[in-house]
Amino acid sequence: MLLRFAWRNLWRNPRRTAIVVVAVSVGIAGSLLSMGVNYGMVDQMVVTAIRTELGHIQVHAAGWEDEPTLQKTLPGGAATVVAALERDPRVRAWTRRVRGDGLVNSPRASAGVRVIGVEGEREGDVSLLREALVAGNWLGAAPRRALLGESLAERLQVELGDKIAVSVQDASGDLTGGGFRVGGLFHTPSSELDRSTLLLGLGEAQVLFALGDAVSEVVVVVHDPDEVEALRTSLAKELGPQVEVRSWAQLEPLLVYMVQSFDMMAWYLYAAVFTAMAFGIANVLLMAVHERTREIGMLRAIGMSRRRVVAMVVLESMWVTGVGLAVGMAVALGATWLLRDGIDLSAFAQGLAAYGVPPRLSPVLRARDFGMPLVIAGVAAGLASLWPALHAARERPAEALRHV
Amino acid sequence: MLLEARGLRKVYEGRGVVTHALDGVDLDVQEGEFAALAGPSGSGKTTLLNMLGALYVPDAGRVALDGQAYADLDAGQLADLRLHKLGFVFQAYNLIPVFSARENVEFVMELQGVETQVRRARAQPVLSEVGLERLGEKRPLELSGGQQQRVAVARAIVSRPRLVLADEPTANLDSKTAGRLLDLMGRLNAEHGVTFLFSTHDPLVMEAARRIVRLQDGCVVADEVTAPTAEPGTPEGA
Repeated sequence: MLLRFAWRNLWRNPRRTAIVVVAVSVGIAGSLLSMGVNYGMVDQMVVTAIRTELGHIQVHAAGWEDEPTLQKTLPGGAATVVAALERDPRVRAWTRRVRGDGLVNSPRASAGVRVIGVEGEREGDVSLLREALVAGNWLGAAPRRALLGESLAERLQVELGDKIAVSVQDASGDLTGGGFRVGGLFHTPSSELDRSTLLLGLGEAQVLFALGDAVSEVVVVVHDPDEVEALRTSLAKELGPQVEVRSWAQLEPLLVYMVQSFDMMAWYLYAAVFTAMAFGIANVLLMAVHERTREIGMLRAIGMSRRRVVAMVVLESMWVTGVGLAVGMAVALGATWLLRDGIDLSAFAQGLAAYGVPPRLSPVLRARDFGMPLVIAGVAAGLASLWPALHAARERPAEALRHV
Repeated sequence: MLLEARGLRKVYEGRGVVTHALDGVDLDVQEGEFAALAGPSGSGKTTLLNMLGALYVPDAGRVALDGQAYADLDAGQLADLRLHKLGFVFQAYNLIPVFSARENVEFVMELQGVETQVRRARAQPVLSEVGLERLGEKRPLELSGGQQQRVAVARAIVSRPRLVLADEPTANLDSKTAGRLLDLMGRLNAEHGVTFLFSTHDPLVMEAARRIVRLQDGCVVADEVTAPTAEPGTPEGA
């Protein structure tokens, strides 16, 4: 009864109600879309990080986290780890890598680089490095070939087929090196990776660093990202203390912090938007209640309790906010769909690439992103209506009936 | 005794002026009465009616309905008493504009928690009784003043209250419409035993009433029975 009564009360003055609905809708649509862009950016950063180097899970030798040195390796080609991964149906793909630092020289320049040895066949299933190849061939096409990021190649002023010399300190601590030809160039969404990474075949990297059959890490991707933590835990338990099994969130806590920061920012944004709206709603309801003083007096006279009068006004606030929320959310969803191919941010491409964000950014809204504004709007609408509701309930019926 | 009021006093103070709206009023109302509180403007009719309807608290004195003293009830219990035992008809109709005539009539029953089917079953005959069976889905603004007041009467009687209090119910109606409304209320009193108490200075109402309580300056100055109280089922005028 009160629901129906409150709903009809809204439409006594359709223009006034429409203004509140539009205000709530614009506020919620703008906030959601703004947060959608932020979430889209963070999602892209996470995806880029996972797909370029991190994977979902990495397995290293114990002590790697505290001191990631070349000597901390998984012996025997990480056979124990590989066997465990092969048995687990949650694992979509895995690859092994060797990781070390070095100096690369061309006839015209030199640069400090991260030298990463990757499995030519498996790396493409785990990361986007293979599909990021923009010139030349992937590893394995010919011996002693190195792949460079485009910007590193520019720094070194080398092109495909040019010779480069790589100097490193091997696992024994001896300075050593080798000559390679530029076999390919890659361009990833991460400018940092492109500027400072040199890829070699796994076997050649093992020889260069004198590691034998040992590897630095095994990188894992899973079918369902929600299972990362469960898989990490079970792998850690199965493989024991000789290894460190860490998820992408543990490897890059800054990314997790950013996700949490955006969630916190969303709370503040919604709180600010709905606090402003609450004053508007309270104002409109006060006017509506004042206009209906005589009617409220009649309702009280015929036996409507104060509690029900309060409930009626609160429900009016909930209705108008609810309609505004529904419209606003529909607009936000529609806009997100229209922008599904991404917003062109190529003008800021260089800056975005530093954070692993591609130049086309798609807003992302998930079901859970709608929960937060719903909760805040509900609280705001309730609080906004309390003042007019109590004002209405305090009316003395006989006096209110005489109100002109 | 349906309603008993003893020693009712009410003083209004404002801008240095003290007005004795009621000054020691005693009044008894029996079941089935069709009575009017009459008197000039400012005589205390509406104040007394509001007090009997548990809308005003007297400065002194007591009111009891069916032996239940209002002073013993808190605000919520008084609201319950008004909801279940009293019916109100106001001078300005005071219908809910966003509800149809039928919904207005059903509203009190909704507040009482009566189920939808029962509400419908009770509202329709009452609308027929007041001659609005075809206008049930019209909203108040689509009805004439007389029709709106008949909806108000239907709303007041539909939940079978012990007493209907009507404050100047004919004041906004022309004499022909007022006459028809009084006929309707007289018939409800005569045939169904609904007890009515009016406040009025309309001669038509006083003519129709079977008892007239005259007020002046907040005091009862006359209390005359012009016709015997009707027994339920007695045709009007018998």
